[in-house]
Amino acid sequence: MRLVACDAAALAIGLTPGLALADARARVPELLAFDYDPRADERLLLWLADGCERYTPGCAVDAPQGLTLDITGCAHRFGEDEAALATDLQHRLRRHGFSARTALGATPDSARAKARFALRKIADLPVEALDMGSKTHQALRRAGLRSIGDLAVRPRQPLAARFGKACTLKLARLLEEEDPHITPRRVTPVTRVERNFAEPVARTGDVLMVIEQLAGEAAIVLGERGEGGRRFDITLFRSDGHVARLGVDTGMPTRDPALLNRLIRERIDSLADPLDPGFGYDLIRLAVPVAEALANTQMGLESKVDVKAAGAALIDRLSVRLGSGRVRHFHAGNSHMPERAAYERAAASGPPRGDWPKPDPGDPASRPFRLFDPPQHIDVIAEIPDGPPRQFRWRRKLHQVTLYEGPERIAAEWWRRKGGHEPGAGGLTRDYYRVEDSEGRRFWVFRHGLYGREKVDPGWYLHGVFA
Amino acid sequence: MNNVPALPDSVFAFPNMGEWRKGKALQHDNLFTLGAKEVDARLQGGLSRAALHELFAGESGDVATASAFALLLALRLPEPKGKIFWIGEEKQERGSGRLYPPGLAGLGIDPASIILVRTANMLDALRAAADASRSKSASAVIMEAHGGARMIDLTSTRRLSLAAAETGTLALLLRVDAMPVPSAASTRWQIRSAPSQAFPANSPGLPTFDISLLRYRGGIAPFEARVNWDHERQTFHDAPLSGGFSAFASGGEADPGIRTTA
Repeated sequence: MRLVACDAAALAIGLTPGLALADARARVPELLAFDYDPRADERLLLWLADGCERYTPGCAVDAPQGLTLDITGCAHRFGEDEAALATDLQHRLRRHGFSARTALGATPDSARAKARFALRKIADLPVEALDMGSKTHQALRRAGLRSIGDLAVRPRQPLAARFGKACTLKLARLLEEEDPHITPRRVTPVTRVERNFAEPVARTGDVLMVIEQLAGEAAIVLGERGEGGRRFDITLFRSDGHVARLGVDTGMPTRDPALLNRLIRERIDSLADPLDPGFGYDLIRLAVPVAEALANTQMGLESKVDVKAAGAALIDRLSVRLGSGRVRHFHAGNSHMPERAAYERAAASGPPRGDWPKPDPGDPASRPFRLFDPPQHIDVIAEIPDGPPRQFRWRRKLHQVTLYEGPERIAAEWWRRKGGHEPGAGGLTRDYYRVEDSEGRRFWVFRHGLYGREKVDPGWYLHGVFA
Repeated sequence: MNNVPALPDSVFAFPNMGEWRKGKALQHDNLFTLGAKEVDARLQGGLSRAALHELFAGESGDVATASAFALLLALRLPEPKGKIFWIGEEKQERGSGRLYPPGLAGLGIDPASIILVRTANMLDALRAAADASRSKSASAVIMEAHGGARMIDLTSTRRLSLAAAETGTLALLLRVDAMPVPSAASTRWQIRSAPSQAFPANSPGLPTFDISLLRYRGGIAPFEARVNWDHERQTFHDAPLSGGFSAFASGGEADPGIRTTA
């Protein structure tokens, strides 16, 4: 077992990462060692990244122990002083017991190298800042190139020829000649409004009020852009670094603050663990990551209730409260297999789709009203093995068949199976019968497999019940 | 659209109807008919659309029949204004199957008009049903409850029926495997499936229902009837009863719309 990381005190007495634990213990018997848990480290870093979104939406994780913030145009809260922003971040981190180094740079690479080597000037950085692997670093040093400054004054062509294109590319990024841009963890929403507080807000009622105001402001911004939001994200930054997120989806683009407020309240009510303001929130942000065009509508002269909008609002409300997967509508499936002919989708995701077969004028419904998925096994007595059922037992009850229609033969979807085109490998054919029992109940039963040809003793299943 | 017999206004002027009159439940234009002449006549013009009706499945095997009857009642509403909300607990789909859109289409119901709400528990279902009835956007709200749900009591049904009366939404409470308990519903029905009139070659015929009115707030006496559903004309028809146990079986005139066995 070896040391993976050491704190400042350990480093001060000469313990370094990579040292065997036994050696370290021998040197410092009272050493506190903990199991290495990279997952937990990653989670902690993500948590920090969440917290850093108070400064900028462009925040990228630079694993294993770095964060890159794109603060272009984000320092207005600190009087356009980017150093003040960095100091604020340092303070917050220190309050949580983290030691951190910050550095500002025109490119992510330069900022990172400066922070890592704790140097202010790029020219002073050692060649290790290129992060090219120890062999390259060694070769560079052997060539007498010890710092980035040494490299910067050389012609690039021979460097590229000797150490590869990647070397000059990294150098250009370090020297702030080329900006690769970071890939932020979240896409920056176009529309977002936020509110900062000098004193943290701790009462839930006040928080809700602020969210309402923000919803009003967002509505104005959306209105100017001629858009309506399909998704609204609320981010609550607690003063102790915790970040809570709430999301609300709507079925139709909207920018109605009243509707939005209702949905948000519904969302907060439905939280499994209620909002815990703790010491209070010092930043609340409302962002609209998904927006669609929504034209301004003129109010009608007579105030008529728009049933369609009211219906969408109701679906949104129920979806927010119960979860969008619990409010569904029907879509037609592209399959002739009964169980795949229809499926359910979240109603908030869009309009229902599908052309449903119209019943023939002279015939009763050929498909059951309720379908069992999976079909239920029944014991059937038939007069002849490939004939209609005479009586069957379902759920411990015997049903005498009085009327029947069938069979309707439905072949298996052989193209879904591997090797299904081989004879006999495409799956079992089903023979469906519509039957009525002596009590007047109508069932949809099928024989699974053609008797004699596909199966010696085909089983029977009940697939649905008719009205 | 339906030939409702013109009834004198005095028919609707029942005494002790204070609460109902407040909800305007008994206005003539708030009634909808089943289309089966004898049943409509028995109901003195039809059922109130701005009210809560309870439908009990006769046995657990009658779930499909009772749920079909509920949806077909919603289909009988003149000029439906919005979607039909079907609300129930998630777990009950396992025992009684799920609504099957091609089968709905086969009865003349447009599957696109249905919104399914499947909740984790009965409390959520009741809340959703109350919300849906209170919003003016649903044409009908059907709440499916299996077993002896204790939460369905006088209070919750009264909440539903008030919401329905306020907005003119048809609210239906479909109960399976349950015994009737005191409720604020305006009518209570028991629905069973009945043998159909066979089609040529002994095949099962049109959906046939044995419906019995168990209770009617406002004094209509309980009765039993057998109706079947004609999906072409989107109407119920009186179906001849096999036995003579109905109060009015003897007077059943043959409906021209009904098909006969070949």
